[in-house]
Amino acid sequence: MSVAGWLADRVGWKGIEASLAAHRASRRGFMFHVGGITLFLLVVQVVSGILLAIYYRPDADHAHASVERIVGEIPYGNLVRGVHVWAADLFVVSLLIHLFTVVVRRSFRAPHELTWVSGIALLLVGLGQAFTGAVLPWSEKAYTDARVGSEFARYVPLVGDWLHRFMRGGEDVDSETLAHAFGFHVAVLPAAMTLLLGTHLFLVSRRPVTPLPQAATAPTIPLYPDFLVRLGVALTGTMVLILSLAIFWERPVGPSADPRTPPSGGLPPWYLLPAHAILRAAPKELLGIDGPTFLFGAACVFGLILLALPFIDRRGSRLTVWLAWIALLALILLSFRALP
Amino acid sequence: MLPSAQAVPSTGSAAPPSSASVASRLPSPTEATNTCASCHSTLTDATLRTPAKEFLHSAHRDERIGCVGCHKGDPRDPTVGAHSPSTGFIPHPTHAEVPRICGGCHSDAAFIRLINGRLSVGQAALFNLSLHGKLTSAGDPAAPDCSTCHGKHDLEPPSSPLSPVNRANVAKLCSGCHADKERMSKYDIRTDQFEKWQKSAHGQAFLAGNQNAPTCTGCHGAHASTPPDAASVAHACGRCHEQEMQLFEQSPHSQGFRKRGLAQCVACHGNHDVARASALMVGVGPDSTCMKCHSHDDKPRQVASDISDLLRDARERAAEARGAVAGATAAGLRVAGADYALDQVSTAEQKVRGVVHTLDPARVQAVVADIDSAVDATLTLVSNAEEARSRERRGYYVALALAGLLLVTLALKTVQLDRRRRQAGP
Repeated sequence: MSVAGWLADRVGWKGIEASLAAHRASRRGFMFHVGGITLFLLVVQVVSGILLAIYYRPDADHAHASVERIVGEIPYGNLVRGVHVWAADLFVVSLLIHLFTVVVRRSFRAPHELTWVSGIALLLVGLGQAFTGAVLPWSEKAYTDARVGSEFARYVPLVGDWLHRFMRGGEDVDSETLAHAFGFHVAVLPAAMTLLLGTHLFLVSRRPVTPLPQAATAPTIPLYPDFLVRLGVALTGTMVLILSLAIFWERPVGPSADPRTPPSGGLPPWYLLPAHAILRAAPKELLGIDGPTFLFGAACVFGLILLALPFIDRRGSRLTVWLAWIALLALILLSFRALP
Repeated sequence: MLPSAQAVPSTGSAAPPSSASVASRLPSPTEATNTCASCHSTLTDATLRTPAKEFLHSAHRDERIGCVGCHKGDPRDPTVGAHSPSTGFIPHPTHAEVPRICGGCHSDAAFIRLINGRLSVGQAALFNLSLHGKLTSAGDPAAPDCSTCHGKHDLEPPSSPLSPVNRANVAKLCSGCHADKERMSKYDIRTDQFEKWQKSAHGQAFLAGNQNAPTCTGCHGAHASTPPDAASVAHACGRCHEQEMQLFEQSPHSQGFRKRGLAQCVACHGNHDVARASALMVGVGPDSTCMKCHSHDDKPRQVASDISDLLRDARERAAEARGAVAGATAAGLRVAGADYALDQVSTAEQKVRGVVHTLDPARVQAVVADIDSAVDATLTLVSNAEEARSRERRGYYVALALAGLLLVTLALKTVQLDRRRRQAGP
């Protein structure tokens, strides 16, 4: 018996293969691969993150210097950091695209309510991962990201002050903020993500994607090997894209943060630009309530509606699809409006 | 005239600082009304009214020092009796009286500490030691007293940008007299200092906002201003350029200049028109300062030539290091430690600029060797960064080739699976 045959026998590969082959997936459409690409980007981040963690020093006095050392002295350190940073950005993009395609294809309908809720929770944890990761280099840009990003939290109704202090690890952005960010980035959020991802994938495997009414007769292929081979093509392309970006579009670490002379102004990370635009454009008062708090409260209500979407729109109406397009357009416009 | 019928508040400004009780000289905060000013500001005669108006903006008023602080008199008397000679009233302090009046308070450490703890004392004593002070004491009407520089009734604190003695305004203040040919003619001194200073390395740096660059008082002093002479000018320069001064004193020039009465630093660098020092100043070329005196001396010529060669080598090597880092940065290369390495180069260059003053080629050579080491270290860093990038690129192309191979394999597999599925039928 060959080694592969021995291993297949020991893990019960025949049974796994039959189980995977029993699942059917759409034969056409790149969008069906976005979930898989998102998962792949997460794996890339985990692997590159572990490599970076070997050399990273999570204290305000050494964090920036350690990142400088990673990119300047450690063999392939610059490449690994580039891959990590680009994979993190693409991960957020991929999460948002995945969310959008699920809404547009109305795949949130029953019996996928729990899949949807776990997906929204994964999005929030993913944004938390990206935000805490951006703080870790402790550069001027990282400091600005931490300061401006945590400033938004202040305007969240009811829990704003608490959330603001929680994100900063105190009143100000300082070494405590960095320690908080590191702890959440490498322990709390990855644990939450593992739990949520496990739940999400389990639910997806138990309740396959509901096709659109007009696509009910569309050709399908077995999940294994046909769909997974196609996914392999998409994942290889994604890896080539990440490597190319890391090699040809470097992300400089920038000057070290100095809380004694904090940089003024500045923009938050790109995925918080819409919030920045809202804050900048908010009037002082709206309907007798503090303007920014009112608008952030409205955004929170929108978030709650999004979370409860499968329970509000049980049949997946066309109106939801239109609203999704309008929301996407609004977010893009707000992001551009936030730019100087 | 003083409106005698007008009620004047019984309490007013501070008394002169002659009382033993320092605190009693100041009015309480509730008695801050200056009774002299309240009358004088209503007078029709502009020469009597203007000082009262100007005093509203005075630093003295801010510190609750009233008119009587300088002019004395009795502000409690609501009639012209306030101006009675028996009150010690000084209507117009004379040129020679001004330093004494100002010094009355500004030489009293206890009083000044009570008024403003940040103020120094002893300016009057220093002024009396200065050439300005000596001329004023001698009754020279063209010589300055305290008010000539600091202002009179609308006196601003020196920290105020509006004060003529504020660091930003000092050069203009001094030039007000020292660029005046008619005024300076009787002293037989030049009047082009301000013009030259503006074009000098010092002036250019100062005007560009360098807070460390010297203005007139940086070299000449303020209250004790005394022009440095040939034998002492190195000490004036050495207040900032300490290293250069010490190294110069170790050089053969130090003794030689002293014997010949040459003005040390000024002999090569000039004074008010001091230019930015350049390596071209040393050597046998047309811009050489050495050749002003040594064009026919064989040994000094050789020393100048040797040092010039060393400086040229150092300059070229430093430029090589900076060029390598700039080129690497322009190519998007991250050279870790480059800033520190270039700082080392700059530090060694700074040392060379100092050690040139010893006129000892062996000592210059030793520091130039430091530049060589720093440059070599920088070039190694650049080379390492280039090697790291090459390694990354090689890895990338290998990964690309593997990815291409994988893509082709997966594409072929997809085609194969599709064919099998078609053959198997729906």
